[in-house]
Formats: sequence, structure tokens, C-alpha cells
Amino acid sequence: MLQHFDPNKDYGTPASLSEKMVTLEIDGVEVTVPEGTSVMRAAALHDINIPKLCASDNLEAYGSCRICAVQIEGRRGTPASCTTPVDAGMKVTTQNDKLAKLRRNIMELYISDHPLDCLTCPANGDCELQDMAGAVGLREVRYGFDGENHLDSQKDHSNPYFTFDPSKCIVCSRCVRACGEVQGTFALTIDGRGFDSKVAAGQDEQFLDSECVSCGACVQACPTSTLMEKSVIDMGVPEHSVTTTCAYCGVGCSFKAEMKGDQLVRMVPAKEGDANHGHSCVKGRFAFGYATHKDRIKAPMIRDSIDQPWKEVSWEEAIGFAAKRLKDIQAQYGRESIGGITSSRCTNEETYLVQKLIRAAFGNNNTDTCARVCHSPTGYGLKQTLGESAGTQTFDSVMFSDCILVIGANPTDAHPVFGSLMRRRLREGASLIVTDPREIDLLSTPHLGDATHLPLRPGTNVAMVNALAHVVVTEGYEDKEFIASRCEGDAYAKWREFIIEERHAPENVEEITGVKAEKVREAARKFATAKNASIYYGLGVTEHSQGSTTVMGIANLALATGNMGREGVGVNPLRGQNNVQGSCDMGSFPHELPGYQHVSDAVARARFEKVWGVKLDDEPGLRIPNMFDAALSGEFRAMYVQGEDIAQSDPNTQHVEAALSALDCLIVQDIFLNETAKFAHVLLPGSTFLEKNGTFTNAERRINRVRKVMAPVAGKEDWEVTVDLANALGYPMNYSHPSEIMDEIASLTPSFANVSYDALEEHGSLQWPCNDEFPMGSPIMHTESFPIGDEGKALFAVTEFVPTTERANSRFPLLLTTGRILSQYNVGAQTRRTDNQAWHDEDILELHPHDAEERGIKTGDWLGITSRAGQTVLRARVAERMQPGVVYTTFHHPGSGANVITTNNSDWATNCPEYKVTAVQVEKVSQPSEWQKNFQDNHERQYEFLRGSASSADAVK
Amino acid sequence: MFHTEEESIVTMINHIAQNNVSAGSESEVADIVENHITKFWSRRMKKILAEQLANGTEEFEPAAKLAAERLSAKMSASA
Repeated sequence: MLQHFDPNKDYGTPASLSEKMVTLEIDGVEVTVPEGTSVMRAAALHDINIPKLCASDNLEAYGSCRICAVQIEGRRGTPASCTTPVDAGMKVTTQNDKLAKLRRNIMELYISDHPLDCLTCPANGDCELQDMAGAVGLREVRYGFDGENHLDSQKDHSNPYFTFDPSKCIVCSRCVRACGEVQGTFALTIDGRGFDSKVAAGQDEQFLDSECVSCGACVQACPTSTLMEKSVIDMGVPEHSVTTTCAYCGVGCSFKAEMKGDQLVRMVPAKEGDANHGHSCVKGRFAFGYATHKDRIKAPMIRDSIDQPWKEVSWEEAIGFAAKRLKDIQAQYGRESIGGITSSRCTNEETYLVQKLIRAAFGNNNTDTCARVCHSPTGYGLKQTLGESAGTQTFDSVMFSDCILVIGANPTDAHPVFGSLMRRRLREGASLIVTDPREIDLLSTPHLGDATHLPLRPGTNVAMVNALAHVVVTEGYEDKEFIASRCEGDAYAKWREFIIEERHAPENVEEITGVKAEKVREAARKFATAKNASIYYGLGVTEHSQGSTTVMGIANLALATGNMGREGVGVNPLRGQNNVQGSCDMGSFPHELPGYQHVSDAVARARFEKVWGVKLDDEPGLRIPNMFDAALSGEFRAMYVQGEDIAQSDPNTQHVEAALSALDCLIVQDIFLNETAKFAHVLLPGSTFLEKNGTFTNAERRINRVRKVMAPVAGKEDWEVTVDLANALGYPMNYSHPSEIMDEIASLTPSFANVSYDALEEHGSLQWPCNDEFPMGSPIMHTESFPIGDEGKALFAVTEFVPTTERANSRFPLLLTTGRILSQYNVGAQTRRTDNQAWHDEDILELHPHDAEERGIKTGDWLGITSRAGQTVLRARVAERMQPGVVYTTFHHPGSGANVITTNNSDWATNCPEYKVTAVQVEKVSQPSEWQKNFQDNHERQYEFLRGSASSADAVK
Repeated sequence: MFHTEEESIVTMINHIAQNNVSAGSESEVADIVENHITKFWSRRMKKILAEQLANGTEEFEPAAKLAAERLSAKMSASA
């Protein structure tokens, strides 16, 4: 019999990965399944559905409810089918009178301590207990309901997104196991014994007060309404669903958007999602309320000056106003006086169109994207060494890693679903090395292997990576065979000569990094001797003045140890926003056309010119920081910004604000009046990921469909607005659906040649390169050669450590590093407009107890933080996880002004800002900074302008 | 931390030279710097660089200066 895997079905226990097949008989049907498969799963695969309560195919078999009991010929008793593996020749009976009676009796006991309020229960129609009661034919409860029970147990409403109603709990432990096995947090437990057993969060605390991270795995696992989404309690169970891709972070989880009409009831992670396999985080699962928030911009608006109220106008008038301004400015100040910024939050199709608009309709290459301020060094560094500006692996590859090196990344906060997968591998025994100034949560995750923390000083990544490579080479751990066959010889020889210099020895680097030499040597040996060693890195690598050098150093380390081109190894940049990879792929950078084809490449340019029908500039355009400088000099006068908030996210805020204020025309397309929009002259309503069609590309190069589940609030998807603007400028764009845009992308981008919406429908997702050479996509890159040079061999790069000029001194004795937190996303525009505020409603400055004591600082004190760039005020948190001399904050709240204090230092190769190193002083203060006072004044004024938009008819003369 | 665009342009070219100092001789380092700027810098940045070189007001690293001179000569030739 054919086995068709249905992702919507729960097969009870996980799939076995064994290649050995076993044949048995279930209810007279011969079935063949992989060895190690449970009887329950083997039956379910053949549509023989054994009743179950405590089993779920994303959890290991547990065997507590016993309702899945079966009989097996030649064996005694009635074993649980979930915990019984198949055996060759086994004969299983799943239904007979004895089993039916047994199951009814078990169910009767469950129901004797369960409220009989099915008709008013929020899980009515979506309750496994109810379904199973029906399946086993329960007709009476002989024990009555007067005995001791849990029916009066108090509900816990503390979590903003779900309730915990212990009166409905059957203590199946699915929630507890999901929290441990799937999420890896272990926040839940079964407290008490026997009849007193109950699910408890943390130390029997309220959910919100416990270490629960609100990923929702427990809610999804619950077979009753014990753990239930508040949205379902409010709205009832959904009636249809659409599979789409999350718009938070670079993991790119697939979700079923479960709907009632056009109302989104809940987001359920899709089991068939290739990036997330049915798991989610608090943002993706629950923080979607921003899509219907009252702050949404619902109509286009224009104004002559940023000191005027907005005027609400039609789409035609707004687009016409914007186009005229752009044309007038170019006529007066020249072709290069305008530009634009694409967004990593928008789809591939949208970013492609924005850069096309700039190159073809504006007639210049003044296009850039927010990857400039996050992963541009990844693009540069990996292209130079490996030939492709992207990570080499799938997320699943980590399950084959024996040693995991994490540099400057905090996966459990910034890429939580991948963080859970990594934790799972650590629990299986992989060893962990973390190179980070802070003691990140991953280090305290329960695991079988050993964990090493290299708590280096901010700004010393290159010295550390060089020291690790020095040990690899000088202690003889190089993979000589791999190097000889896969790497270019001259570059390797040059690098080897460089890296063996004594100045790179851990003993000589110790003074720079602050990490004991022996610890570095041990870490290097551990990495080099592991069968499969992988490197994962984040913005703690890239956002430095030597970000590109560190990326190349990471590639060197992987190449030198032969950790490239197979499962469990590789170089893995953890991308920040949902479509950072895609926005880079789509030609958002000023020097590259889509597919990383340089603008000076006449052959590539000619292909684009033929399809786009215009002559293209062969010189790189302005990067974002150059746009700001040029704006202040008066040479750059207008900017089109789609879906980014540069006024909050970019460093040295006063400089950015001055540049934006100097523009004659700033066109912002966004879902809210964000910080950048406060400086805008045209505000075009954006559409959320729920309101449009397209694709996102995640950190593993996986192209996933984004599907529209509700109509755009202002009537247009973002790509349609760009099309309108192009047409108004006199450059014809004519697409009726994003699939046509993808077809054009595929025709011009060799690595996307075989990508189409039809192919995505067929395969679910595809990882580029996806072309005739790799028709099914490329889960793992560089398996046989590298797309670099004539011979396809990787290039080692010499990685000189050049210390940052941003140094601590007596005036600024501390080093500030900035980062992200689990519950908020990037500038917070989305998550601040959800109940995620419950976890993080302000940015806090963390500092070590020693630094706090020296300054008389306690947790909760207001602190003035002063750098060479500016001053802001935040509340203090004294934290042991900081190292002395280093302070940390997040940038999720605009009023915090975290970027008022970051400087304009940047990566030498790409201009990626050095967010991770700012010399500061902190002191107790009693009032906000001047910038914060001005910010508040302007915030109130701009919102007043917005509120008065409909009535301010004479705002535009 | 720099304060003017001109300052930043010279800082950036020096920074490129410093980060590639191990590439070899001054001329070899200058090759790398020149290629990098040709490939990644905008027309406007290159123009400011040439102006700063001509003004002689800013401190260039030797390899950076050599690269700036080569770039400047090419710009003059193509003008």
C-alpha cells in the first residue's frame, strides 16, 4: 500500500530515520515501515488510526495515557502502541471488544475529573479529548462527579496570549514534553504525585512570571483547552487556513494563518515548513496584532514641509505628487540627486521592483538596503572567500554537527526557532563554543556535551578567530587533503605564512581579547578534531569596523579544518530580518544587479538593459551613509524608502535626522508613521505580510511563498505602489501578479533560473542556486566546487587585525554593545504594537555589578549614557552576565535613543556601522536627555499632524 | 568618530589600506585598495577622494595615497 505523508495528520510518534524496512501485519493489513517506527505510527501511515491522547508526532513516545493499547499476537497484555516498536512478522490487533472496553474505562476515568462544558468550551470542535471520547464510544461516567477532583482549579490568565485552565488538564505531559523536547526551555513540569499531579510553570508560578518564553509549543501540544489561545476563546475556532511565511527574523518559519472570513484567529506553525518543522516563537505565533492596530496608515498622505500637517489624498494624487517632485528635483539637481532604500521586511518581488525603479526609472544606482547596517560584511566576506554571498547550509544541518561554534550571535533570542533546534543537538551531545562578550542563554541550556565560553572584549573578533586558526595550523589540525583539493594554493600559502606568525598565538592575543590562552587552544582543538564542526555567526561579527575581516576569518577557519560541503559543517550567517538574504539577492546594493552581478559587468548589464529597455549606469551608486552625507552637502535631494526605519535603526541619530531634514522630498512607504516618516513629505500606506503575495528568502537561502490572507488596508500591495510610481515617472511597469515579477527575476538571475511560483507550489520551498545545474535547489552549497576563480577553488584571505579607533579612555571608560531581545523585533514598530510589550516595554542598560558599584548604581536607576556621538538616558539593570567594563542595551524603542550614542565608525569594506563598540560613560541622572526631550516634542507634533490629516485641506498649496 | 565627509573619505581609504597591509608591498596593497574603491565606491566618493588628494590637506597612509593617485589619474584621463 502506498504511504502518502499528510502534514496535517498527527502520526502519533516521530518518524524513524532507519533505512532498514520491517514488514508486519496490522488488523490483517501487511505494512512495511522503517525499523524503529512505533506500532502507532505504522498503523497511522496506513490509515489505521489508533486512539491516542498523550502521543504526538513531534514528541518522543511517552506511554502515559494507555488509551492507544493494542494486542500483539504472542505477547502478553495490551502494550501501548506508541512505545512499542514494530518487529518483523508482528501481528497487531488495534480493535476488538477487549481493547474497546479498556479504552472506554480509561476515558471514563479521565472524564470523571473533567468539566462537561463541551458546548461552551473554547476547544469545542477542536478538542482531542472530545474526539477520543467519541472514538472510544464513551456513553456514561459511572463514578459520578462528586468525588475528589480538580474542577475548581484556578485559571492562570497572566500570559497575554493564552490561558492555562488546570481544571481541564488530563496531565498527559504533552505540554511539558513540548517545552523540553521542542522548545528546549524546560519551563514546565509535573508538580506533585499521583492524584495531586499537575502541570506547573517554573517554581509553580504564573506563566508570565516563569521562565516560559511563550513559544506556544505547549498550547499547540495540548489535547484539551487547558492551554488555549485567548484569540480562540474570544473569536471561536477558525474555519479556513492559508499557509504563508512569517515576517519576523531570518529563520522564515512557515505558518498556517487560521482564519474566520478575513479575520486572523491564530497562527499555527506548519509541520511541513522546511525551516521550522512545526515550531514557532512568541513573535511568529502570537505577535500579529500589529496588522490590525489602530496606528495603521490607511490612506496616502502628502505635505509640502515636515512642519505641516498631513493631507489625506487619493492614491493617484499621492503618486502624482511624488513623481512630480522627483522629476523636478532631477531636472534641477541632476540624475544622481535622488535614490531609494529597499526593505528586508518586504518580499523579493518588492525589493526587486524598488531597485529596478531606481536603476531604470531614476537612472542611477543609488539603491541600498538595510543589510548595509547588518550583514553587508557577510556578502563581501563570503563572496571573497567562498564565491557566494550566502550561508552554506540548511538549518537542519546542525543536527549533524558534533561541535558548534557560535560567534557574536544569540540564537535563542534573535533566531529562536533555530535556537531550539540547536539546543536539541546540544542535548544530543554536540559540544558548544561561544565567542561573545556576554554569557548568552545558549550556554546555560541543558546539554550532554561541554560548553566553552570565550568572553572576549568587544572589537576583538578578528584577533580571536586568527588565534583559533593559528592553533589549528601550528598544532597540525589542518585538513591537508581538503585544502589541497578544494582551495587555491597560492592564497592558502600566503595565508598560512601569515597565520603561523607568533603574534597570532593565543598567548600573544590574550592581552587583546582578554581570554585565557589555554582556553582558546582548547576551543580550537575541540573545533578542529570534531568530525563535523560548524560555525554560526550573527551581527556580533558583522557590526564592527573589521566585520568583513572576521567573516573572511570564519571562512578561513572552516576551510582550514575541511568543514565545508557536507551536512553538519559550514559557515552559517544568522540573518537578522526575514528577507535580508532576499533583499541582497535581489540587487539592492548600489554596486550589484540582482544575483550579485556587478554593475560594471558589461555582459550582465546588457541582459538587464535588454529586458528593462534602458541604459544602465556602470558605476556603483551611493550607500545609505553616503546618501546622508550627500544630503547634508545638498547634492542628494530626494529618497524613496520602502518599509525601513532608518531614523531609528541607523547609527548616529542626530546625523541621520539632519540628513533627512535636509531632503526636499522624502517618500516613505510603511504600515505606520515610523520615525523616518516623521521627516517625510509623502506617506504611502504599506501592506503587511498578511496582505500580499510574494516570496521571502531566509538565512538558509530558502525561497518560501508569502500568501495573502486578507486585503491590504489601503487597497494596494506594496509592489503595486512601486509599479504606480514607476509608471507616473514615465517608466512603464506592467505586472498583474508577483509571480510575473519572479519570472523576470528568474530570467535575469542565474541562481534563480528554475524558480517560479509553480515550482514553489510543487516543492514547498526551494534553496538557491536553483537552475539547470541544481534543478531541485541546493540545500548545501560547495559540495564539489566553489563558484570562484577558473578552477572553482576557495580562496583563503589574509585577515589582519586592525583595532577599532573607538576605544575606551578615562572620559569614556566603558564599551557599549547593542543587540536584540526575544520578544521585540528590530525597531519594534510591529512588536511594540502587540502584547509582547508585556516582556519588554523599554530598553534597559545592563552593566556588571562591579561597574555599578563603582558608580553607586542600582537596578532601576536612571542612567545618562554619554559617548563621543551623543547622550541618552535609560534605566539600569545590574547583571552578572555582563563582563566588567562592558554595558549592553537594545534598540527596540525609539524614545530610548540607543543610536543617539552609536558612532559613525564602520566596517572598512562595506560601511556596516560599528554598533557593537561604542565607548561610553554612565552616571546617575534625574531627567531625560535633551535629544529625548526633543524626540518627545516632535513625536507629539507629528502625531498631531497625522490626526489632523483629513481636515488640513490647505496643507499643500 | 569623524566629523566631516571629507575626513570620513580619507579615513575609509586609510582603513582599507590598513586592513590589507599584509597583502605585500606598498604597491600590492595599493592594488587592492584601488580595486576595492573602483568596485564599491560611488562616483561622488571618488570625486571627493581626488579633491582631498589634490588639496593635500589630509593624512593618507602611503599605500592609500598611491591608490588615490592612481584612481585620480584614471579619473582625469577619462574626464
